[in-house]
Amino acid sequence: MGVLALVEADDVALAAGVRLVALAVLALVAAIVLGWSPLLPASILLLAAAYATHLATDDPALDARAPLVAAGLLVTAELAYWSLEERGTIGTDPGESLRHVGVVTLLALGGLVAGSALLAVADIARTDGVAVDLLGATAAAGALLVVVLHARRAG
Amino acid sequence: MVVVAVALVAALALRRPELAIVAVPFALSLALGLRRTEQPVIAAALRLDDERVVERQEIPARIEVSATSSVERLELRLVLPEGVVVADGPDAFAMRLRAGEERSLPVTLRCSRWGLYDVGELEFRARDALRVVTWEGTVGEARQLKAYPQAEALSRILPPRDTQVFTGSEVARSKGDGIEYADLREFVAGDRLRSINWRATARRGALVVNEQHPERNTDVVLFVDSFADVRRAGRSTLDDAVRATATLASRYLERRDRVGLVTFGGVLRWLQPGMGTSQRFRLVETLLETGVEPTYTWRDVNVIPARILPPKALVLAITPLLDRRFVATITDLRARGFDLAVVEVDPVSFVDAGGTEPERLAYRLWLLDREVLRARLARLGIAVARWGDDTELDSALEGVRTYRQRARVALV
Repeated sequence: MGVLALVEADDVALAAGVRLVALAVLALVAAIVLGWSPLLPASILLLAAAYATHLATDDPALDARAPLVAAGLLVTAELAYWSLEERGTIGTDPGESLRHVGVVTLLALGGLVAGSALLAVADIARTDGVAVDLLGATAAAGALLVVVLHARRAG
Repeated sequence: MVVVAVALVAALALRRPELAIVAVPFALSLALGLRRTEQPVIAAALRLDDERVVERQEIPARIEVSATSSVERLELRLVLPEGVVVADGPDAFAMRLRAGEERSLPVTLRCSRWGLYDVGELEFRARDALRVVTWEGTVGEARQLKAYPQAEALSRILPPRDTQVFTGSEVARSKGDGIEYADLREFVAGDRLRSINWRATARRGALVVNEQHPERNTDVVLFVDSFADVRRAGRSTLDDAVRATATLASRYLERRDRVGLVTFGGVLRWLQPGMGTSQRFRLVETLLETGVEPTYTWRDVNVIPARILPPKALVLAITPLLDRRFVATITDLRARGFDLAVVEVDPVSFVDAGGTEPERLAYRLWLLDREVLRARLARLGIAVARWGDDTELDSALEGVRTYRQRARVALV
């Protein structure tokens, strides 16, 4: 994931990104070895931060690899949580693992498709001015609000 | 959610739509996972094939589980008390349960030591397909599992000095109707013809009859020391004492003897002498409650009700000989004329000699002190059977048997 995020980074972004990726790997390994789940989001955020550093520093036009990075991050997080769940001896139904692999794959593919669609919209917004830009920002804030409200109700 | 929030804020702050795209799969996962937020109703129970087992014996059981609504992933974990383990396989299970479906999961339990255990509680964790929402709780009703102590190898028991009036398996010292030949005497009116010894009659020229020893039962009181316990590597003197007591009780009850029990320690428990299978179960179940309850109160024989210690009963004390209160009580019992023997659950193998010279010296002094105590008990006419790692219970009791045959009369 770190390689994917930093493959096109220049020297400055690469130096910072490598450090962030190293930290992310360290957090991921520590979370899995120690069985401490709060470290997992930190690890994912550090990987995302490495990608953000590349975007902020190098300022590419519009990175087409973004949906791929997003799906990769999701798969990394899912697999890490899965390995934490499987710690200890637990008897499972036959086919349970395969089903979960299927669910994660579908989710990653869904994320990839949705991300690609959003990337296309962002491309249009980028070329069509500030109004669409504002619309995008409002939509992002709205999405965040919906997620927060939904999570509160669930809690 | 943290990742989604941070990525969206970063996207706005850095004006990079790629970061919002990074949040998309996570937001999708959250949105799909939070669709269903109703807690499923789960019912589960642990069914044991047998609620009375012998320690270290495997207990087949099954977990029966059902749910009113569909659960994509249900994780169940047995809540087992210390001393109960899953003999084979995992103690946790994960499964998919459809609405109304009932599942039965086989599981084998094992009690590593005797005792009373509450088993049957299960912790559950139900999750949706994306594992975003989790419901946790406890189900199942605790049931009592009784693990009886394992019997020690014992071929011969310690015969009491005196017998009681009921028929049993012990040859009485008195003469009467029985099988065992005792003596000859002259015929008196009322003697049965079949008891006439014709050879002796021919020799003496007068009617002579055989006399026999009758077979009678005996009263035995098992006197367990629960003042002190020495533990090491999963073993303890109290565990061994309870095993020996259960074995002795079974052997005496098989002979139709009356067996009583006194566990003497922080908590005094007793069971009046009785006979039969029901007494065996009562006795073992009383033993299962035995534990060391620390106390600094001085206790002596006066706290034991008189009916628990019937006259002419053999009192068998099972003790590691560590607590002075118990030693004082057995010497007191001996002074009151009770037929007394001690099975010493030797704690020496549970204790290290120590690394330093003062520790080794203290250890040697402790061993000498124990030798002195044994000699003091022997002088009082109390036979001590040392039962430890290198001695079987049978061999230890054989020593006492021999001692009691040779040193029957003791001046107290």
